[in-house]
Amino acid sequence: MAAVSRSDTARATRIFILALLTVYVFFSLGPIFWLAISSLKGRADLFAMPPVWIFDIDTTGYESVFGVGAAAGTASAYGVTDALVNSVIVSSIGTLLAVLLGTLAGYVCSRHDFRGKGDFLFFVLSTRMLPPVAVLVFYHLMFARLGLTDTRFGLVLVAIFANVGLATWIMKGFFDGVPKEVEQIAQVNGYSRMYAFVYLVLPMVRGGIAATAGFCFIFAWNEFAFASILTTTDAKTLPVKISSASGATGIEWTQIMAAGVVLIIPVLIFFYLIRKHLLMGMTFGVLGRN
Amino acid sequence: MTTTTEPTPSQAAAMRHAKAKDRKKSSGRLMIFGFLSPTLIILLFMVAYPIISLISYSFYNFSALNPHEGYKWAGLDNYSYLLSDSALWKRFIFTGKFVFVCVSLQMLIGIFVGYQLQKAFRGRDVIFTMLMMPMMLSPVVVGFLWRYMLNSEWGVVNYLLSGVGITDVGWLSQTTPALFAAAAADTWMWTPFIILLATAAFRGIPDTIYEAAEVDGASPAYKFFRLTLPMSAPVLFIALILRLIDSFKQYDLFFALTGGGPGSSTETVSFAVAKLAFSYFYTGEASALAVILLFIIIGLSMILVRHLNKMGEKY
Amino acid sequence: MAKVELKNLSVEFGAFKAVDDVSLTVEDGEFAVYLGPSGCGKTTTLRAVAGLQNATQGDILFDGERVNDQSPSERNIAMVFQFVSLYPHLNIRENIIFPLKARGMPNAEIARKLDWVVGIFNLGDELKRYPGALPPGTTQKVSLARAVVRDPAVLLLDEPLSAIDEQFREEMRWELGHLQRELGVTTIYVTHDQREAMSLADRIVLMNNSKIVQVADPQSIFFNPNSEFAGNFIGSPSMNFIDLSPVANGFRLGESKAVLPTEAVPEAVRGAARPIRLGVRPRDVQLLAGPGTVRVDLPIEDVFSVGRERYFTFRLGDEIAQGVDARTRRDADTAINLRPEGLMFFDAQTGQRIAANGAVL
Repeated sequence: MAAVSRSDTARATRIFILALLTVYVFFSLGPIFWLAISSLKGRADLFAMPPVWIFDIDTTGYESVFGVGAAAGTASAYGVTDALVNSVIVSSIGTLLAVLLGTLAGYVCSRHDFRGKGDFLFFVLSTRMLPPVAVLVFYHLMFARLGLTDTRFGLVLVAIFANVGLATWIMKGFFDGVPKEVEQIAQVNGYSRMYAFVYLVLPMVRGGIAATAGFCFIFAWNEFAFASILTTTDAKTLPVKISSASGATGIEWTQIMAAGVVLIIPVLIFFYLIRKHLLMGMTFGVLGRN
Repeated sequence: MTTTTEPTPSQAAAMRHAKAKDRKKSSGRLMIFGFLSPTLIILLFMVAYPIISLISYSFYNFSALNPHEGYKWAGLDNYSYLLSDSALWKRFIFTGKFVFVCVSLQMLIGIFVGYQLQKAFRGRDVIFTMLMMPMMLSPVVVGFLWRYMLNSEWGVVNYLLSGVGITDVGWLSQTTPALFAAAAADTWMWTPFIILLATAAFRGIPDTIYEAAEVDGASPAYKFFRLTLPMSAPVLFIALILRLIDSFKQYDLFFALTGGGPGSSTETVSFAVAKLAFSYFYTGEASALAVILLFIIIGLSMILVRHLNKMGEKY
Repeated sequence: MAKVELKNLSVEFGAFKAVDDVSLTVEDGEFAVYLGPSGCGKTTTLRAVAGLQNATQGDILFDGERVNDQSPSERNIAMVFQFVSLYPHLNIRENIIFPLKARGMPNAEIARKLDWVVGIFNLGDELKRYPGALPPGTTQKVSLARAVVRDPAVLLLDEPLSAIDEQFREEMRWELGHLQRELGVTTIYVTHDQREAMSLADRIVLMNNSKIVQVADPQSIFFNPNSEFAGNFIGSPSMNFIDLSPVANGFRLGESKAVLPTEAVPEAVRGAARPIRLGVRPRDVQLLAGPGTVRVDLPIEDVFSVGRERYFTFRLGDEIAQGVDARTRRDADTAINLRPEGLMFFDAQTGQRIAANGAVL
C-alpha cells in the first residue's frame, strides 16, 4: 500500500539508504559469523593469514568449555551443567523480579504525582551509575557477613538491584504512552484500579515488558564481576565457570570463542520466546501525557 | 438558642462524595506505597548502603588486603592526591573522549536504523532479532573477539582493509587507533540497544500524522526532523541517558580488548578504579576515585534529566 | 479549484478489488459526497484521489491533467482525516501554518494567511494551546483550518465528523457547508451517514461493494433511487420492501392476503415479465385515507407517537413493516393507506428500479 512514488532524487536517496542499511547489517552480523567459525578452528587455522574460510572443524574449544574430550578430567570438566543451571535460575528469577518491581514502580510513577517523585526516580536511575568495580570489595564483605556468599539467592538479589532501575525507567516510559482514560473508563464502569491495571493497561504495554525483560535477561546472564566475587563453588554461574577454565597458557582463543557462542545461545532462545511480544503494540510515551 | 440542624440533602451528598474521594485517595495511596516499597527497600539496601560505605572508605587510608593494619583517617588526602595526578587527568580525558564518540555514534546509527525498521517488510522481524545479537554477547567475549579481529598480524579486519589499500594499521598498539577500536567495539555491541528503543518510539507515531504531513507537502527530511524526532524525543533522551551512564562504567571491554594498553593509555577511569582496588589494593584511593566518577555521572545525568522533564511538560 | 475526474479507476489489494471500475466527474467548486456502508470503497477512492493510495488501473485527472504519478504534496490537495491528525507536539498556531512552512512560504505571507484562517474559524483564543487540550469538535475545526489555509485545489474529508458528539456535529455540518460555499473549493467528503450526505452534498455518489450505485443530487436520489440498495440506504426510517405476486385483481403483497390494486401499478411495470418488488418509504404509508391514497387491507398493529409524528407497524404474514404519519390527527384507519406517488417498483432479482415508463434504471 505505497504512496505514489516520486522523482529520481528520491529514488537515489532510497538506494543510498538501503546501501547504508546493508553496510550496517554486515557490520553487525559479520563479527558474529566470525565468532562462530573461529570457535571451530584449530590453532593453526586460527592464526592463518590470509584468513581461512574453509577448514577442518576442530572442537577443542568446545571441549574445554564443557570439559569433555581432550579436556576431560580437568577441573573444568566438573560443574558446567551445574553452572548452566545456576545461570538459568539466577537470570530468570532475577529478570522476573526486576521486571515485576520495575513495572509496578514505573506504573505508579507514570500515573501518580507524589512528593519526592522526581527524587525517587533519580535515585532509581542513580543505582545504575555505580561502577561494579567500586563496590566489589564492599559486597564481598557484606555478603560474607550476611551469609549470602555462594548462594543463588544472593546472586538473584544482585541481578535485581542491577536491573530494576533500568526496568523502572523504561516501563514508566511505556506507561506514559497509555492514556489515563483507560483506567478512568474502567473505574466508571465499576472496576477497581487493580483490575484495570492488570487486565487493561498491562496488555497494552506488552511490548515494553518484553523489551525490558530482554535487556534485564541479557544483563543478568552476562553479569560477571559480582558473580565471580560472590561465588566460590555452589552458585557459580556459567560466565564465571567458563572464564575459570582459561588463563593457564595465555589467551585461549578457541575456548573464549566457544564460550561466547555457548553463552549467547540461551539469550537467543529467550529472545526467540518473547519475539511475538517484542514489537507488538509498542507505543512509547510519545503521544501520552506525563 | 441554637438548634443542631440536620445537613441539607445537598450537603449530605457532598459529604458522601468527599468520603468516597477519601476512600479512593487512600486506596490510591496504598497502591503507591505498595508498588514502590519493594523497589525502594532493595535499592536502599543494596545500593544506598554500599555508596555510603564507599564514601566513608574514601576518607580513609587503608587497604582491604590488610584491614586491620592502618585504618588511618586520611581526610581529603585521597582526593587531593588523585586530583593532582596528571596521569589521572589523562584518564579522565580519555574516558570523556571514549564516551563522547561512543554515545554519539550509537545514537546516530541507532536512530537511523530504527527509523528504517519501523515499517514492516518481508523478513523485518528476522533481521531485527538478528541485529539484536551483538548486545547479547558477554562484554568480555566482545572484547576478546575484537582483539582477535583487530590483531595487526592475523586479524581479519586488517586483511579486509588491505584489500582496499589500507595497510598496517596498528589498532591496539597505539592510543588513538585503540580509542577508535574500543569505540567501534562498544558501538558494535550497544547500538542494538538504541535501535530497539528507537524503533519502539517511532512505531508509536500514528501513520495518519505522516499522511497528513505528506498531504501538507512535507518532504521526507522535513517529516523526520519536525515530526518524528520531536515526537519521540523523550524516549530517545532516556536511551541517551542510559547509554551515557553505562559507557562511563565500561570496564569489561577494556579489560579484554586492550588490558589498558598500550602502556596505560587506554585505561578509563573505571579501569583505574579496578586497578587501584585489585592490583594495588589501595582501597581508600579506589573508593575516592569511584566517588569522583560517581559525581561526574550524577552531575551529567541531572542536567539531562532536568532537560527531559522540561520536554515532558508539553503534553 | 479544480475539476476532478476519475476514469475507470480500480484499486486492488492482491485479489481483492476495493474500488472496481469507478468513473466519475466532480465539477469545479462542487461538494461531492461519497456515501456508502463500511467497506464499500469510498475511503479507498478518496485516498486514491489524494495520492495516498496507488491506483491499480484507470486515471485520475485534475483539470484534465493526469495526476496518477504525482505524490500527494504535488497534487495541491488538502485532507481532513477521520481521527485527529494534528501534530500533538505543536500548538494550534504551529499546526495551522505547518503546511505553509513545509512548502517554504515566506513569513509575511504566512502571517497573512494565518490571520485570514483564524478569522474564518474564530480560533484567535486557541492559538497557543495544544491539541491534547482541546475537545474533539475544536480539533476538527483546526484540522479544517490547516487544510484550508493552503488554498488547495481540492479539499478531501474522510468522515471528519464521526468522532464528534451529535450536538456538535449539526453545528459543524452547517459551518462546513457554509464554508465550502464561501470558498468555492472542490470538495469530496466521505461518510456512511446518509443524513450528513443529504444535508451537505451538491451531489451524492452512492457506493456499494466497490462500485458506484448512483450519482445524483440529494433530491433525485431520494425521490428516484435507481436500485433497492439506493432506496434502502437513503432515507430514515428505511424503505419497506414487499414482494409482489400477480393475482387476479392486482398484486398480492408479500405473504399476506392483501392485494395492491392493478391501477396502483403503472402499466409499463405491470407488463414486465420479471418478478417485482414494491418499495415504499414509511412516510408514504399512512394511517388514514387522504387524497389519492390507495387503501390496502393490511392491518395496523402498534402505533406510538414520537413528537408530532406517529410511528406505526403493520404486518405482512410473518414480517413487519413501518409507516410514519406526520399529520396531527388522532384517529386511524384499521388498514393502511398508501400514497401512490411514493410507490416504487424494483426487479426482485437484480434490485434495479423499474421506472413508471418501464425503463430499468
